[in-house]
This record gives sequence, C-alpha cells and structure tokens, in this order.
Amino acid sequence: MFKLASKAIEVAGKHRVDFGDIRIVEDRSQYLAVKNGEISGLTDSVTLGYGVRVLYKGAWGFASGSEMTERAVADTTLKAIAIAKASGLLMHGRVRLAREPAYTDFWQTPFLKDPFAVPVQTKLDLMFRLDAVLRRNSKIRVAQTSMNFIREHQWHMTTEGSRIEQVLLSSGASMTATAVLNGESQMRGYPCSHGGQTLSGGWEIIEAMNLPDHAERVRDEAVALLSAPTCPAGVADLIISGNQMALQIHESVGHASELDRVLGYEESYAGSSFATTEKLGKFRYGSPIVNLVADATLPGGLATAGYDDDAVKAQRWNIVKDGVLSGYMTNREFCGRIGKERSWGSCRADGYSNIPITRICNLSLMPGSTPMDQLVEEIKNGIMMENNVSWSIDQKRLNFQFGCEIGWLIKNGKKTKMVKNPTYQGITPEFWGSCDAIADHSEWRLWGVSNCGKGQPGQTAAMCHGSSPARFRKVKIGMHG
Amino acid sequence: MKNIEQVCKKIFTLARGAQCEVMAETRDGALTRFADNVISQNVASASVNYSVRLLENGRSAKVSFNQTGDAYLKHAISSALEILRRQKKDPALLPLAKPRPIPAIASRYNRETAELSPTFRADRAAELSRACRKTGQIACGTVENGVSELTLANNLGLFASYKESYVMHSVTVRDHDGSGWAERPAHDVKDLNFKLLNETARAKAAASRSPREIKPGKYTVVLEPNAAAALVSYLAVYGFAGQYYNEGRSFTAGKLGKRLLSPLLTIEDNALDGAAPGMPFDYEGQPRTRVTLVENGVLKAVVHDRKTAKKAKMASTGHALPQPSYMGPIPLNLAVKPGQGALADLIKGAERAILVTQFHYTNILKTQTVEMTGMTRNGTFMVENGHIAYPIKNMRFTQSMVEAFDKIDAVSAETGLVAEWGTLACPAMRLKDFNFSSSTKF
Repeated sequence: MFKLASKAIEVAGKHRVDFGDIRIVEDRSQYLAVKNGEISGLTDSVTLGYGVRVLYKGAWGFASGSEMTERAVADTTLKAIAIAKASGLLMHGRVRLAREPAYTDFWQTPFLKDPFAVPVQTKLDLMFRLDAVLRRNSKIRVAQTSMNFIREHQWHMTTEGSRIEQVLLSSGASMTATAVLNGESQMRGYPCSHGGQTLSGGWEIIEAMNLPDHAERVRDEAVALLSAPTCPAGVADLIISGNQMALQIHESVGHASELDRVLGYEESYAGSSFATTEKLGKFRYGSPIVNLVADATLPGGLATAGYDDDAVKAQRWNIVKDGVLSGYMTNREFCGRIGKERSWGSCRADGYSNIPITRICNLSLMPGSTPMDQLVEEIKNGIMMENNVSWSIDQKRLNFQFGCEIGWLIKNGKKTKMVKNPTYQGITPEFWGSCDAIADHSEWRLWGVSNCGKGQPGQTAAMCHGSSPARFRKVKIGMHG
Repeated sequence: MKNIEQVCKKIFTLARGAQCEVMAETRDGALTRFADNVISQNVASASVNYSVRLLENGRSAKVSFNQTGDAYLKHAISSALEILRRQKKDPALLPLAKPRPIPAIASRYNRETAELSPTFRADRAAELSRACRKTGQIACGTVENGVSELTLANNLGLFASYKESYVMHSVTVRDHDGSGWAERPAHDVKDLNFKLLNETARAKAAASRSPREIKPGKYTVVLEPNAAAALVSYLAVYGFAGQYYNEGRSFTAGKLGKRLLSPLLTIEDNALDGAAPGMPFDYEGQPRTRVTLVENGVLKAVVHDRKTAKKAKMASTGHALPQPSYMGPIPLNLAVKPGQGALADLIKGAERAILVTQFHYTNILKTQTVEMTGMTRNGTFMVENGHIAYPIKNMRFTQSMVEAFDKIDAVSAETGLVAEWGTLACPAMRLKDFNFSSSTKF
C-alpha cells in the first residue's frame, strides 16, 4: 500500500505543496442484531479507499477516491490541489502546521481473540439465548441484542517523511428490553443502550461483559419501571453512575474543549464553546476534586492509537486539572493559537473519505477517594441515575439536559425506591463546580462512545470516557413536558 | 450506470441460486466550508458502495463493499453464502420482492448543479464574507453540491434506479453576541437564492444582538419553517411508522380514524409529486405511494414496509428502509399542508409569543408521547402586541409534541424545504402553551 501512497506524495511534491498526506484505509466491520427472536441485522462490510490532503500556498484542499491505481491516486491528488487553489480565494493568512517529527512505525491494538475468527453462529447463539431470556415476560414487547466488530487498517504517508501503519480493532455488544403497557414503554439495557458498550480489543471484550448474567435483571427492571413512580421534579443531590457519566463528560467537557470549535470553526453546525482560550489556565471549570485527563495511550480506549491522523504521536494531557481548565483537544493547524508549538494529537478522520478534524480523545474523570457506600450515605435527599437515554446541550456547551434509563431515590443515606423517566439539567461550570465527591478507583469503568457526530460533511468518531460514579449537589431534576 | 449493471450481473451469477438483492449507492460530491470569514475546509469525495443481501431457505446474510474487481466480488459473495448457510432458519424472513411498476417522476438531476466547481463555491462564500466584513459580522457556513444515485436490483427481475443532483447553502452569521441562520437545499442551483439566504442570516444576526433573559415557562411560540420541521420530523418517525404502531409504542397505536392532533394539521408523505419529492421506490424496490397521514388532526394512516404491512394485514405503502431494518419503515418525504398568510401574519396575530428561528440538539425523551427537549438557536425573539419586541437569550424546551401539535393556533401559507431525516416541506406555525424548562447564558 505504501507504494501506491507514494504516488500522492510524489505528485504533491512536484506541485510544491506546503504539506501533503495520504491515508489509505481498509475498514472491515461486522454487525449482528437479533430482535424478538429474528435476525434484524447481519452485515459484513469491507471498504477500501484513500483520502489526500494538501496545504497549497497555505490553503487546504482534500479529495478522496477508491480506485486503487497509481493513476487514480495521482488524479485525486491533483483534484485536492485544485480545491486548495480555490480555498486560496478566501483566506486571511497562510495556514501553518505545528512541527512534528517524521515517524516510520507500525502500531496495532492489543487483543487476545480475533473477533472476526469467532464463527457467526457462535455470536448468534449467544444473542438468541439472551433474546429468549429477555422475552420471558409478556410485557416485554421488544428485545434487542447486537454485536459489532471493526478493524481499521491504515497506511499514512506525509510529505514530511512519516510512514505510519496502524491496525485498530474494537468489539462491542448490547442488549435491551423494552416493556410496554397501556401505551407506555420503558427500556433497560446492559451494559448500556445506544448500541451498547464498545472498547478497543477483541472477542475478550464481549466475554468480559458476562452478558447472560445480566439478562434477567435487565428484563425485570424494564418491567418494574412501568409501575415505578415518575422521577420527582425539584432540586436534589445527584449521583451519576453507569455510562451516564461518560455522556456528561463527553458533552459538557469533551466537545467544549475541542479547540476548533472554541475558535469558531464549527459555528455553522455543532456550535462553539464557552471555554474560550483566554480562560486557559485560569477558569474554574469544576470543583478542586475534578480532574479530567485526555489520553490517546489509554488501554481499551476507542481513541487509542499510536498516532493521530495528523501523524502526531499519542499523548496524555490534562483538560481540567484540580478544577481549572488546563488544555484542549488540538490538531496541528490550531494549536499555535494557544501558544503551543506541538499539537496534543487529537485529529482524526472517519474512514478514508473524510478530512481529519479535531476530535475528542479518550477523556476520563480521575477517580476520587470516597468509597461508593459513603457517596450514598452522605445524601439526605437525593437520587442516583444510571445509563443514558437522551442528551441535549446548547451550542456553547453550557445548558444541558440528560435523561436516564433508571433512577433510585436516596433518603437519609439509603438507596430506596426505583423511579422512571429520570432527567436532570444544569449549566456546565456550575454543575461541575457542585461535584463534591467522586467514588474511588474500585468503581472506575471505561465507557465507549461510538457515535460521536461532528463536521460537514458529517463524520462519526469513537472514543472512551472513564469514570467512577460522582456526586453533585443541588441539581435540578425531573423535567417533564 | 452501465458498470453498475455489469457488477449486478456478476453478483447474481456468484449468488448460485440464492435470492440476491444488490443496492448500489453512488455519490460524487463536494463541500466548501467557511468560518471566521475564510474557507476553513474544502473537500470532495467520490464513492460507489454496494450492499448485497442473499436469502435462501429462510436464511439471510448481507455484505457491503466498495471494490468490484472479480477477486473482491468472488470473496465477498462466497463469504456471504458461507455465513448464510451456517445459520438457523428464520421463519419470519420474507423472500425478496418481485418487481412492481415504479411510477414515472420528473427528473431531479441537473448536470450544472452536480458539477459546480470549487471556484463557484468559493465565490459564493466570498460574497457573504465580504458583506460581513464590511459590517463587522462573521460568516460561517457551507456551500455543497454533487450527485447521488441509488440502484436497487434483484435476481427476480427488479432493476430500479434514481439519480438526483443536490446543492445546499447554509449560512450562520455572528454579529457580536447576536447570530442568524438560513439554509435551503435544492436539486437545481437556479432554485437557490444565495443572496436572499445571506441577507436573511445577516439581518437576523444584527437584530438578535444584546438579547435579554426571560423566565422559563409556558409561552405561545411562532416557529419558523425550519424550527417547526425539526419537531414534525420526530412526530412522524415516532407516530406514523408502522413498526412503532404495530408494537404499541406510539401515540397513534390503535387510533386510526381518531382526532389526535390539531384540526389545523394535515400531513402527507408523497415522494412522487409532493412538495418534498424524492425516490419513487423504497429500499425493497416497492413503489412509493402517496399517504395522507393526518387530515385535519385525524389519524388517517401510518406507513409500512412489507414486514410491518404483513403484520397489519395490508399492503406495503413503499416506505421501507434498507433491509433488514431494526427501525422498520419511516416517512421520508413529508409535506405539511400550508395554511394562510405569511410568517409576518403569524407574528402579527400574537399578543405575546417567542419567535424561534432554529432548534439545536433536539432529542427524544419519551417515544410514546414524543416528549422532546432541545435548545433554540441563531435568533430567538420576544413578540409583543404583534411585533418583534426584542431578542432573547436561548431557551431549552421540554415538551410533548403530541400536546404541542394539538395546540396549533395558526399555520402559514409559506413553506420552507428542510433536510431532516428525509426532505420535509413545512410552513411556519404558531403553537400555544409551549413549555420552556430553562434558559442559557447567551
């Protein structure tokens, strides 16, 4: 593949581009789904193609193609250069990239069992077994289980001399049960809904989920939610657990810290950010116990790789340190705007046909020192919410509302009755400022987010967020329309 | 097209007697993106993706790929056959559909639109940026164009194809603490008034400076067509889709013929010659039909694919998504019947209301009542005594759409064409008692 890639580098060099690169990407994916005893999805997919990016006289151009010949690669490179020339018609100054050494390297996601070597029937047998357990109650109207496996093989070559080959592997699964009665429906999932839990690695990720051990509980809780009282409206202390912490981190810190949107380059679609650059190193984002770390080297992380798609080596850095805004997600184009000579390396593309853009890296809330029991015991009137159902946040990442699958009221330090349709609202810095306890490392889990949308044309990226359950004081809960 | 036909024939041969369906999606498009008054991204992408579904003796498998060399095809199809033959039988699996006549439609392909150059797109962005710089405003947005084609074929004789050109101009203008937005998709660049969109967004940005904070609560709202469309699309997906209906998870379940929404609301799905036209066949190759979903607030029908239609003991309405589909069918070419007067008349008729340009990050909370949340964005105003009184800071709504669309007070004659899940033609609307649950800081 590098022989084919070198054609783009050769053509870009002849046209004296400031910078050029080609990413050849082969994506192999498998998706399986069972719904109510029937196969509702069984797809094997392979795509192969390349994207060529050039910086010509300081202006960007990008073109992609899938015809795997030297001539087609050369034509695509020329198309990217022609587009860059058009970009030059509307610019303030030349785009300059932060420096990065040239690398020649191979990097691969560590795994134990190749998920593509596990027979389809083995996967379906497990899913049908779960499906049968989930449907063993007449109130369960919809039972769904799914699995997904993705292997992305990349060959990345730059005019600066980098030659990087990477093989990224991820595996995921989910099961959900939806109970329906008198026109009302309630859903419960494990490990979570929205396509389930995905981490980087092989079939061992699925085995570690112990899916059969949770099917009965998922079913019974979905049915129990039908007759549970509705989450009360008011102000209460809140413990967030399960994958809801991942969504809270993702939406209110991850996107808010993407430097391209901070600088206004996402204004037309995803929006901008309140976490503007003059706040770096000064702004109190949360309470002093809040530490959020971006980490492209994190084992199991969906954004874990040897290098990002700017050919920058993987790094680990603070976004929020001791409650203060301390960093951003960066690419090589924009990191100079905050005085950084080197990008932190969080620039990625969706497949071969998209331009790399600034993305959220793996971003985790560091564990605290409070035992989980104590988190609950110190609440007089509160609620615990688990697993995300819905999410919404304004375009500056301030006002958010989340809905969760299930809630449990906490009274006088004890977890009491189950409530349905729990929701909460907040304003980002005030909310993180109200975080007064984070459970210790024994409760810390890594959660995958596989459906992060951004950019125009739209791109999807995956990343992980790790956290222990955390406690927030005086939160507005129970919004209902 | 000729190449796609040849690839289909090769795939049918490799399928060795199994029922075989090929879906080929071709897209050749480009997008120029600008922000901070400069071009920030400028991209082009060309692709042909194939999805092949094989069925045999109650078993099925699907493969997708984008390389069509003989060796690739042979490997892909033999892998699919191997997966298929190792499976257990699925008694609910429907065989492939036999070909049915596809209605003739007017062409939606315009070569000039499909082939607009990067210079054309850059010039359109530059026109807006120049105007914005003069007034201290900041232009952001996109100019996008291209061609897409979908071919669906099977070895029972189906061969259907649909090709369309597209162009879209999306404009966001920032003016200090104000912002404005306008957007429009079209099949023909001649139908797109770039200047009008630019001026609309610029004027709105200027008018929305120095917004005031107001208290959350229930307000009458005047929703511009894009804002109304964002809500109607959720109502349609969770209310008028056969699978949700059959499973009893929708507010419409078992309520055909009953008035569920405002008498001012009539919605149809019509891909053929409606106000939001599209492909004349669905992803099972069935002809799309015109379906009146709601007439004067009364539920008249929901849409079906072959599977949900069988359960409902009726015929498919031609609304299948790519199979197999966990979502079932959904309406993709919705048109809300226009009412009377202009947006200005809706404003004029409001004593006190909130005017919403656009909603941001909308999401569903409860499917059965289509309870949603989301934020206002890019121009939110207080209307008092029939006039726009002042801009207000953005608000979050938490509201059941079943209730909201039962309280329609007025519908405009003007409609906007909006790209949502599919295409949607929607007028502006005035709704009473719309619940805003909180506000934000800008």
